[in-house]
Amino acid sequence: MKILVCIKQVPDMESRFRPNGDKTWYDESDLAFRMNEYDEYAVEQAVQLKEQLGGEPEITVLSIGPERTVEAIKKALAMGGDRAVHIRDDRYYQKDPWQIASMIASYAKGEGFDLIFTGMQSQDRGSAQVGVIVAELLGIACATTLVGFSYDGGTITAKRELEGGIKGVAKLKLPALVTCQLGLNTPRYPTLPNIMKAKKKEIASLTPAELSGEAELTATAAIYPPAKKGGGLVLEGEIGIQVDRLMGILKEKTAVLR
Amino acid sequence: MKALLIGEYRQGKLLDTTYELKAFADRLGADSVMLLVGSDADLPKYEGRLYLADAGKYGEYNPDLHKQLVLQAVEKENPDCIVFVHSSYGWDLAPRVAVALKAGQVSEIVALNDGAYEVNACNAKLRRTVTPKGGLAPSGACPLAVLTIQAGAFSPSGEPQGAPQLERLELSGTASAIEFVGYEAAEQKGVDLSKAEIIVSAGRGVGKKDNVPVIAALASALGGELGASRPVVDAGWVDHSHQVGTTGQTVSPKLYVACGISGAIQHLAGMKKADFIVAINKDKDAPIGEIADVLVVADVMQFVPAFTAKCAR
Amino acid sequence: MEATREIYWNVGHGVVLPMYLVTLMAFAACAYGCWKRVEVYRQGKAINRLDNLRERITLMAGNLFGQTRVLRVAGPGIPHALFFWGFVVLFIGTLFVMAQADFSQPLFGIKILTGSFYKGYSLVLDLAGLAALFTLFGLALRRFVARPEGLKITRDDYLMHGLLSAIIVTGFFAEGVRMAATELRQNPDLARFSPVGLFVAGQFAALDLQSLKELHRLWWWCHFLLVTGFIAAIPWTKFRHLMTTPANYLFVDLRPKGSIDTIDLEAEGVEHFGVDKVADLTWKDIFDADACTSCKRCQDRCPAFNTEKPLSPMQVVQQIGETACTAPQADLIETVGRDALWSCTTCRSCQEICPAQVEHVNKVIEMRRNLVLMQGEFPGEEVMVAANNVEVNGNPFGMAYAERGKWADGLPVRHLSDGEEADILYFVGCYASFDKRNQEVAKSFVKICDAAGVSVGILGKEERCCGEPLRKLGNEYLYQMTAQENIELIKGYGVKKIVTTCPHCLNTLGRDYRDLGLDVEVEHYTVFINRLIGEGTLALAPHQFDYTYHDSCYLGRYQGIMEQPRNVLHVAGGRINEMQRSGLESFCCGAGGGRILAEEKLGSRINVQRVKMAEATGAPLIVSNCPFCLTMFEDGIKTGDCEGKLAVRDLAEVVAERLATPLEIGKTGPELTMAAVTALAEVAGRIEPAAPEQERLAAAEGVSA
Repeated sequence: MKILVCIKQVPDMESRFRPNGDKTWYDESDLAFRMNEYDEYAVEQAVQLKEQLGGEPEITVLSIGPERTVEAIKKALAMGGDRAVHIRDDRYYQKDPWQIASMIASYAKGEGFDLIFTGMQSQDRGSAQVGVIVAELLGIACATTLVGFSYDGGTITAKRELEGGIKGVAKLKLPALVTCQLGLNTPRYPTLPNIMKAKKKEIASLTPAELSGEAELTATAAIYPPAKKGGGLVLEGEIGIQVDRLMGILKEKTAVLR
Repeated sequence: MKALLIGEYRQGKLLDTTYELKAFADRLGADSVMLLVGSDADLPKYEGRLYLADAGKYGEYNPDLHKQLVLQAVEKENPDCIVFVHSSYGWDLAPRVAVALKAGQVSEIVALNDGAYEVNACNAKLRRTVTPKGGLAPSGACPLAVLTIQAGAFSPSGEPQGAPQLERLELSGTASAIEFVGYEAAEQKGVDLSKAEIIVSAGRGVGKKDNVPVIAALASALGGELGASRPVVDAGWVDHSHQVGTTGQTVSPKLYVACGISGAIQHLAGMKKADFIVAINKDKDAPIGEIADVLVVADVMQFVPAFTAKCAR
Repeated sequence: MEATREIYWNVGHGVVLPMYLVTLMAFAACAYGCWKRVEVYRQGKAINRLDNLRERITLMAGNLFGQTRVLRVAGPGIPHALFFWGFVVLFIGTLFVMAQADFSQPLFGIKILTGSFYKGYSLVLDLAGLAALFTLFGLALRRFVARPEGLKITRDDYLMHGLLSAIIVTGFFAEGVRMAATELRQNPDLARFSPVGLFVAGQFAALDLQSLKELHRLWWWCHFLLVTGFIAAIPWTKFRHLMTTPANYLFVDLRPKGSIDTIDLEAEGVEHFGVDKVADLTWKDIFDADACTSCKRCQDRCPAFNTEKPLSPMQVVQQIGETACTAPQADLIETVGRDALWSCTTCRSCQEICPAQVEHVNKVIEMRRNLVLMQGEFPGEEVMVAANNVEVNGNPFGMAYAERGKWADGLPVRHLSDGEEADILYFVGCYASFDKRNQEVAKSFVKICDAAGVSVGILGKEERCCGEPLRKLGNEYLYQMTAQENIELIKGYGVKKIVTTCPHCLNTLGRDYRDLGLDVEVEHYTVFINRLIGEGTLALAPHQFDYTYHDSCYLGRYQGIMEQPRNVLHVAGGRINEMQRSGLESFCCGAGGGRILAEEKLGSRINVQRVKMAEATGAPLIVSNCPFCLTMFEDGIKTGDCEGKLAVRDLAEVVAERLATPLEIGKTGPELTMAAVTALAEVAGRIEPAAPEQERLAAAEGVSA
């Protein structure tokens, strides 16, 4: 079995974000980068499947991004990936989900992967599109938002997370692509021997030009900090008035009170 | 401009989020038609054409078949945009439709800004305006686009009204790469705060164990879960499964109400991802005030019951 | 008449040969037993504990003959020391007999045991025997009658008490019967120098000479055989501590306290880290188990054990010994148990008190290393998250690293990254950087330095977690990664002196980083401030207050810094009310060993127990010197319902409020002024130091005996 896991390196969401010079993406200075959280579930699930199948499957890790992306790739290899493909692209952020997915699909097409794991979405862009588009472009079955995964004899039983804690169970046959959601598993902490081994694993390098020349279908017109949500408002005074004002603010600023 | 709205239907019921699609189309100033894979038993109150496919036949969840149904409706209606709710149904189906049409997709629109689509980036710490490009839509006014809207971002202004003009859709075959098996009810094992949308947390400021139910009452009035700070859990007032913070659960609800929590670092690190934070504290200078969107300076045991009464109404 | 006695009286010189033969056999059995033990130790890895031999021998002699470590707990310590000295005297006495009877007299005709020397000799030996007998009796009462909780009774204990008592009693009987037959009649003047023998002799005086002679032969042989039995039994029973404990003094770890082996991560071919099998231990780790006498002093002081957690340092050491003997292939981590391993706060109170100088803490850390580095296990998911946070953002909270220096905005602090120079580098640490409560400590320290004219530099957003909690939790890899970054930075800026407000940073930067190539003077701020005061650079305006002082583990036990902070507080106007457990006997706040990052799910809470001890002093204020302690006490005061009765302040905050030349820097002081604290105490009323703790400790130490 050949498994592909697509990962992305994203900034830690605790950071303070500022738009970059031409207001098309965030400024990368002062940001700490890590593997996209959802992709960690993807890597973990792939490694668990490999363990279930006695180590037979080969896991390829793929990531698109600049030089720093190698750190995330190494982490995935330390968690149990066998080899990696790094599509070096310093302008990755200017590509829309369609272009990103097209690059992945064009790489995957010739490789004959039986199963592809991706995160449900990236933490920075949050479009939740890339995985599904890759599956559509490859013409394989796809289920999203997995919080449960089991595999038996060529069939995946996927537990999808629906709203309100309900889960939807679906079966799909290989080849297939699944996108992974928080709660699917607990990503392992790489052991030291595996970290050491990962340093010696192959990371093939590709350029975007070798893969796909698709034009973008959406573009970021501008990026900017959101308008203040009324930050740091202090309500003092009489209880009744405080209650009314808070109620008003919650109705206005949040989607939870309607 | 014409929008094709894709309604949602689950466990034999129309989902209310369907009405947000209409609200969005209204905000967009677009004419709309709707498609629903559902049943005659629970039709949306909608003034307009409704393409109805039988969920009994095509499944409540079967993206392969639903995609084909949407494409059929697209062919008949030639819309400028196809709108989904950004939900487990919508984000699963929308990209399939987008690929089939080679249309640009804009995900989880939270607002309209002069007709441009605003979406969040980086945990809502940044906002982007996204413009669809690519092939022009049938009207020629804009590129053909697939849109998903954030649940709750476009609330209907009033009670939905009207009766749809039904037009039924059928597919020639029902072969699909995915087979839906069924639903599983939400698990009831302890409290999973990590996915709660609303959390109301009790801190030492509530005073004593007997006061905790007052906080719990607010949590249930808001339809949320009860959280707690470490000292409260340590004191045995609240079970450990409710603890929020680095040594408890890390949470990211839409609304976090901190009652009598001063804001030790361990607690802040566990809840500061919340979209909206309300703190109720006697001390105006409590550290929690620094990250709270609203700080109510009041005695917790006076304010919370009053606020709960208001919510319950 | 000459004051002497005939050696081999009654038994005759004919016994010499069989006697030495039996003795030889006893020593052979002893040697064989030792060899069997050595084989057990040899399962462990090599480690050199015989370097600096002169120093080691001096240390051993002091600990052994002075019984200094044993005497640190007076209750059982004094009887043990008396017994030891008594037995040593009896042993030396026996050597004199041997020297004269089998060496000086037959070869040179010289008699040693004669005249007034013999009189003194008789008296000293008699009294030594008596002292040994009484202390043995006392210790037996303690162990078998008034047994303190946790003290175990094993087969060896019966054997030891029985055999030793029997040796002394048979000795006295042999002496008494001999005296009844000889001295009592022939030289009553001399007999007075053997008071115990005289007493025994009195009991047998009525018997005829023949009966006395037969009885004497019987007692003599009993005494002799018991002694040889004792020699033979040494390596096979708990008697082995007669050899292993002194040897452990010799094999002591001479490195600075708290030193942990730094793993070479670059070593080729090494794929196994930490300890999960006996073979992963060093021979010294196994030897420790034999040096341990199960005195349970460590257990009495262990904060985990005292809060109903499944850890007893004594038991860990014993389990290692048992596994090494009986099932060397067994999984040590399973044997000891994960919960026990994760419960340790590395407070070092076990190791500090151990009369046998057993090294408990590093064994725990080595097993944790195996759990983390080989199995990716943590005490809980929250700790794994914290580790990931340190990896990404350089702090366990996951706060954006770029915000690390923000606390210093508007303060007279220089950023080394801006090319500025300063008198000292203040290594701030994660808590003082990000935790609002602890930021007050950082601000206070800056204020103090400013008042003393000392310029303070920080690394700001470039500083990373020192790595201490991770290292103690076994995550050596991440520790070294984060440490390397700090070291390169510190070296790059040419820093000459570092001051920390965190004892954990202090130990790590000052001691642990040396293995990784950092050699810079690192000082704790309490020592630094004490010096500024001593030099007259810093003047305080004392304002009287009552307080109790908490010796944090890593400042007190690890660094031995106990006087300087007390002196600073004294100069500031403080009147100290010491807790029952202070100084080297201080009780952990519960946050050491990386526990600050973990939930305390098992047993009761350590911080509450410590806060209660502080409350019992009646002082309204507990002064801390460590961000972890401060955090734990702030929580413990709330959880332990001590609000209004007790407040916690860091030493820097107390000092900053008493600067003789106050400077307004940044935000004004903390919400609780000393005046308020004093007022609180007056309202609450003074509480008399509570007896229970004293009683508990006394009971634990078996003072009742």
